[in-house]
Amino acid sequence: MGDLTRVTIDFERSHLVFPTIVAAVLAVLGLAIVLRDRRRIAGAGAHWRGIWRDMDRVRFLGTLALTLLYFTLMVPVGRIWPNTGLGFLVCSIPFVLATGLLFMHDRGWRQVLPVVAVAGIAPTFVWWLFTYPFFLTLP
Amino acid sequence: MIEAVTTLVTPTFLLLVLGGTFTGIVFGAIPGMTATMAVAVCLPLTYSLGLENGLALLLGLYVGGISGGMVPAVLLGIPGTPSSITTTFDGYPMAQRGEGEAALRIGIVASLVGGLVSLGILWAFAPTLADFAIRFSYVEKFLIILFALTVMAALSSDMLLGIFSGVLGIFVALIGVYDISDGGNGNLRLIPPGTEYWLESGFSLLPVLIGLFGLAAVLEQAEAGVPRGHSAKDLAVGRAGGFRLRMLRGEGVNLVRSSGIGTFVGILPGVGGSAASILAYSNAKTFSKTPERFGTGAPSGIVASEAGNNGLTGGALVPLLSLGIPGDSTTALLIGAFTLQGIQVGPLFIGNNPDTWNAMIFAMIVANLAMFVMMYAAIRWFALVVTVPKHVLLPVILMMCVVGAYTINYGIMFDVWTLLIFGVAGWLFTKLRLEVAPFIIGFILGPSAEVYFVKSLESFGDLTIFFTKSWIAWVLWGLIVLSVAASASLSSRRRRPATA
Repeated sequence: MGDLTRVTIDFERSHLVFPTIVAAVLAVLGLAIVLRDRRRIAGAGAHWRGIWRDMDRVRFLGTLALTLLYFTLMVPVGRIWPNTGLGFLVCSIPFVLATGLLFMHDRGWRQVLPVVAVAGIAPTFVWWLFTYPFFLTLP
Repeated sequence: MIEAVTTLVTPTFLLLVLGGTFTGIVFGAIPGMTATMAVAVCLPLTYSLGLENGLALLLGLYVGGISGGMVPAVLLGIPGTPSSITTTFDGYPMAQRGEGEAALRIGIVASLVGGLVSLGILWAFAPTLADFAIRFSYVEKFLIILFALTVMAALSSDMLLGIFSGVLGIFVALIGVYDISDGGNGNLRLIPPGTEYWLESGFSLLPVLIGLFGLAAVLEQAEAGVPRGHSAKDLAVGRAGGFRLRMLRGEGVNLVRSSGIGTFVGILPGVGGSAASILAYSNAKTFSKTPERFGTGAPSGIVASEAGNNGLTGGALVPLLSLGIPGDSTTALLIGAFTLQGIQVGPLFIGNNPDTWNAMIFAMIVANLAMFVMMYAAIRWFALVVTVPKHVLLPVILMMCVVGAYTINYGIMFDVWTLLIFGVAGWLFTKLRLEVAPFIIGFILGPSAEVYFVKSLESFGDLTIFFTKSWIAWVLWGLIVLSVAASASLSSRRRRPATA
């Protein structure tokens, strides 16, 4: 019994000990879930079709697309004015404006005006706060 | 304590607590925004504030965020935060009877009592637990983490999926190098080829948290079409039937019991405010002489719910400050504030940082009192927060998430992509019925669990050490078995009505 429980850990391979155990536990749990919920998993297609049908696709996919574009452009734009954080500012203003317009239901002037104001003020304030008092450079 | 308070508590400190509490109430009052989100969004602001001032802001946000959730719960029947779900049961019927203001004020008083009772327990209990935990070796520390994970699983809505989520969190946390500073060998693992440059240190905690709690919440709102805001006309604040202190007559036991339940649930790792308020509410109903009145606008229901969820605030800090294990998702974010200042929370924290500990207690007292004064005096104004349009707020929150993720490691763009990855993952989690809280706790505790496990085996070379090290190990195994048994029993009870 003593030999069965004895363990020697090779230091050179010690980085794999715990991940291997965790991966094995994860696999066992995954298998248990598959066995228990096999009917639900078999009907997963209908579940995802329902999600796709019920979601506001324009706003959801639009948010994802705008966020991807925002993240992608921030660094290249920032390289035009290095170490100034202007990449963040120049990209954030149109991002906040576009996302605000995407999320709106009524796009009359009275509703759009606060979004335009926030899109101008909020990124500028955050850029100033981090650049000057905090001395943290944004992209 | 008084000496520490007089040196640490500056006008800036007080302003930050008050500002944090105010902002937290505003966040909590907007349906879909939570205290966790408020802390996530404001975390980067704590960079230049120092630890005590940063914590003052975050603790104010925490207390305010939990309390603010009652506003839409009472006035619109929509919980502002998950923890105020049971407040809707009696608050909304009262509001429909024209007693909205009275219902809110009952909730405010109960929130104050809940917050202060839990704070008392935190103050009395955390240092004792920390002193005890200092004696723990790697073996006991590993068993504590195992116990935390089993408790989380027991209180998950689905035991199997709860455990899976927690273990998945551990697995993701192990991506990257086995750190030499933790006694590791400095080798990489679980990294797909070609991603070594970005993933060498694994995923940073804060972008993961901000993604799961900030971006994921925005995606959920976008998926639902960003519901229109409510107009001031929808708010049934009411003028008739204002608050009278006698409405709380006979509620003393309910107040104390619900605060105690909330604190206890807070101490359990990874269990959120919704569980605290649901447990407090169901207990109040069970022990009530008039249970039939619950759900029809009974003040007792509001008292139980609000004392329970505010009781969580102090309770959730107990395991964080004494063992380094977060009590809920918001306190998990507080770990970020400590990390930013280079301080590790655990059994040694209170002893080594008495000033910070005292400042935290004082900040919590001020936050609870400020919450009470602000909400009680200006509840009609806070009610209007519900009408703030989300199309104005959500883009700013998205931008703040990006700022938080980018600045966390002083300007690493990969952290921003981590935010996106975990934002989408958080949205997918809700669709797959995986649980975010166990995932986060697993993610936070994963690296420590590895060190404690591997070092225990390296030191003793025998698996039986996890049973034979000390009597504490036996007690912990007893608790683990108990929580697994409770988990299995709860799970089968939940499944029985579905299969019947």
